Amino acid sequence: MNLKNAPIKSVVLVVAVIALSLLYSLMTNGGNGALKNVKNVSADGSTTVSSTSNVSLVGSTDKPVSMSSATIAKKTDHPKFVGPLLYQNSGVRATYQQVQQGQTLFDESCSSCHGAYASGTDRAPNLVGLGPATIQFWVSTGRMPLSNPIIQPIRKPVKFTQAQILDIVSFVASQAPGGVLIPNIKGVSSATLAEGASLFDINCAGCHTITGAGDALASGAYAPSLHQATPEQVAEAIRTGPANMPRFNPGVLTNAQVNSLVKYVTQGIQHPDNAGGWNLGGVGPVAEGFIGLLIGVGLLVLAAFWVGDRK
Amino acid sequence: MAKLDVTKLRDQNPKGKKTVNDQIANTAEWFDDRLGLAKGTRIFFNKIFPDHWSFMLGEIALYSFVVLLVTGIFLTLYYVPSASLMIYHGSYAPLRGTVVSAAYNSTVNLSLHVRFGLLVRQMHHWAADIFLGAIAVHMCRVFFTGAFRKPRELNWIVGVTLLILGIVEGFLGYSLPDDLISGTGLRIMFSVTESIPIVGTHLAFWIFGGNYPGDGSIIPRMFIAHVLLIPALLAALIGVHLALLVKQKHTQFPGPGKTEKNVVGTPMWPGFMFKTQGFMFLVVGVIALLGAFAQINPIWQYGQYLPYKVSYAVQPDWYMGWLDGALRIMPSWEFQYHSFIIPNQFFPSVLLPGIAFNIFIIWPFIEAKIKKDKTEHHLLERPRDNPVRTAIGAGALTFFFMLFAASATDVLANYLTISLNIVLWFFRIATYIIPFIVAAIAYRVCIELQRAGDAAGKRKRFNVVWRSDTGEYFTEKSPARSDDVDYLDGEPEESLELTPEVSKMVNEKADLIASDRNGSQESTDSNPEDLQQISRD
Repeated sequence: MNLKNAPIKSVVLVVAVIALSLLYSLMTNGGNGALKNVKNVSADGSTTVSSTSNVSLVGSTDKPVSMSSATIAKKTDHPKFVGPLLYQNSGVRATYQQVQQGQTLFDESCSSCHGAYASGTDRAPNLVGLGPATIQFWVSTGRMPLSNPIIQPIRKPVKFTQAQILDIVSFVASQAPGGVLIPNIKGVSSATLAEGASLFDINCAGCHTITGAGDALASGAYAPSLHQATPEQVAEAIRTGPANMPRFNPGVLTNAQVNSLVKYVTQGIQHPDNAGGWNLGGVGPVAEGFIGLLIGVGLLVLAAFWVGDRK
Repeated sequence: MAKLDVTKLRDQNPKGKKTVNDQIANTAEWFDDRLGLAKGTRIFFNKIFPDHWSFMLGEIALYSFVVLLVTGIFLTLYYVPSASLMIYHGSYAPLRGTVVSAAYNSTVNLSLHVRFGLLVRQMHHWAADIFLGAIAVHMCRVFFTGAFRKPRELNWIVGVTLLILGIVEGFLGYSLPDDLISGTGLRIMFSVTESIPIVGTHLAFWIFGGNYPGDGSIIPRMFIAHVLLIPALLAALIGVHLALLVKQKHTQFPGPGKTEKNVVGTPMWPGFMFKTQGFMFLVVGVIALLGAFAQINPIWQYGQYLPYKVSYAVQPDWYMGWLDGALRIMPSWEFQYHSFIIPNQFFPSVLLPGIAFNIFIIWPFIEAKIKKDKTEHHLLERPRDNPVRTAIGAGALTFFFMLFAASATDVLANYLTISLNIVLWFFRIATYIIPFIVAAIAYRVCIELQRAGDAAGKRKRFNVVWRSDTGEYFTEKSPARSDDVDYLDGEPEESLELTPEVSKMVNEKADLIASDRNGSQESTDSNPEDLQQISRD
């Protein structure tokens, strides 16, 4: 083999590979599919929410997304872009950049099952039109992305930051309007604990148990423990009804009632008055029976063994 | 007898100066002259208690009962036995402003406001769990050692009655706070009562004062049963239980100097009284520690019971757990004949305990009948000595344990992340299979233990063949297996020479055999094989 021009040849080869891959990426990314889609959707959105259709995100100051992303949004926002609404009772809309970043995240972590545009495949359901609350609940509790396709996904460490979750929510919401918006839980501080406790007994304790420890339901399904749920997640679960849980519409529970439930779950259930010592897991008489027999009777039988003769 | 004692005490003090002993003696004499107490006291003080540890198990129950009485009296000072409704104004925020019953209100206040209230309530509840647990363990001891045999059948029946009354008493106490979980239990009990054919509905309506939840009279009724009727019965029967124990004297395990005609142990005074007092403090101590550090039944978290409210994962206390488990695994069968229905609940929660307790009660007579045994027994059997009884007992215990575990189907399914249906079907089948397996294993173990004799749990020793100085051979069990011996300063070098002790032992043995052979033609303490070998030489 003639190695005379080897350095030049290899440089040419490397340049050619780089050039080809650039060309390929331009071709595949050309037309920016996601952006097209967003435009279409936002056009739909503007017809449904006509009065706020031209409100740009920059103006709103109470939006819960971090301010840094809002400032970035100011620079890169698409001039004609109108994002989907995210929050209940608030004009906050997703920004162009949030949708774009959300699409990247969705492509990486969700699209292999839910499809590139969240329209579902034979492996996972269609997410289009479910609304921001549903998406935020499943991702922010760590249940999505799914690690193991079992009957009911389990709560895991969250894979994304709060801002990234909102990006994903923005992207999925940008696919179609409607669905359940992220509930407004500002009224929680003024809600009454006793009303929440009473509503919890009637509506929730039947599956989640009275202490919120959760329990197994039929056929492998289960009601999860409520001890790690954030206020927003509690409200989202009530409004969207994840997995086997029934969905409680505003006609069933008013916003004020949801707020008092949120207050009771995050205070009465998660920080109960545990006077009396170690609560044995809060699962009631089964644990108490085991402690009574193993520790109580067990210690005393050992004591009898100690004071008595063994032969 | 008292007179004798008094003179003895006075003799010790010839100067005539009154000492404390004199004062005690005089006081005792005064009472003895009027009441004749000395005889009973003498019987009490001379009562012999066997020393084996398993005889202390019943005392756990006895002293838990004492704790139950003392803590229970405290609780009655604060508990209000009334179903009348009121508004809660206490310190527990989630309940504030809600409508609760006076019973629930007083129990929450007792727990969160009254000084020592929660400690005493928790001690009372733990003591109840331990009381029934100790009765169960004590009953196992009596059963597996055959202590129930003639002449103690009556005391066995009193004991089983105490167990039944204890379970009822515990369930009533558990139901008194009128919280969500106990209310659910009461609801189940109403249905169970209703399920008794023909009289069920009338009985349930009479007890509850109408259809569930009734007119509220159930709470005062349960209260009077819980604090007066059943405790009085329990106390009386415990008295009978102990009186029979003194009258019939204790049983004992066989051993040196122990026969069917005597009881060997420690007299109440001086001796056993100190042991049992110390043991009482241990029982109270364990209950107090649990009451202080382990939360039990935090009813303020559960809320007031209302018939339309329900919590999942509701179980009764452990001693009712087997009945709950039986209800859970019962398939949904009902029997109907024209207009008569035998509802589903009847079989697991009325028929099952009915049969179980009746078998318990008549067991001594069943066993005597089968074994055609009419003799008195004061020496106990070890469980291995009666493999059939031990196998039946182990199987029955397993059956009840499986039912008990079945009352936690949901908790197990949740903790093990298995489908609830699978857990349920596991118990539906395993509850009837595993007891037989356990019984078979128990039987086998008993037989093996019998065969092993005193060497049970030890490894077989080598047989060593020795040749004596005079050239005779015989076999001997090695003193210890070489690999069962550890040396403090490293292993010694192996040598084929006998140590002086062993060689002395060998020669003594040889002399013994030689003298035996000379003295009488047959040797008594060497086995035929050895003799054969010797004669062949």
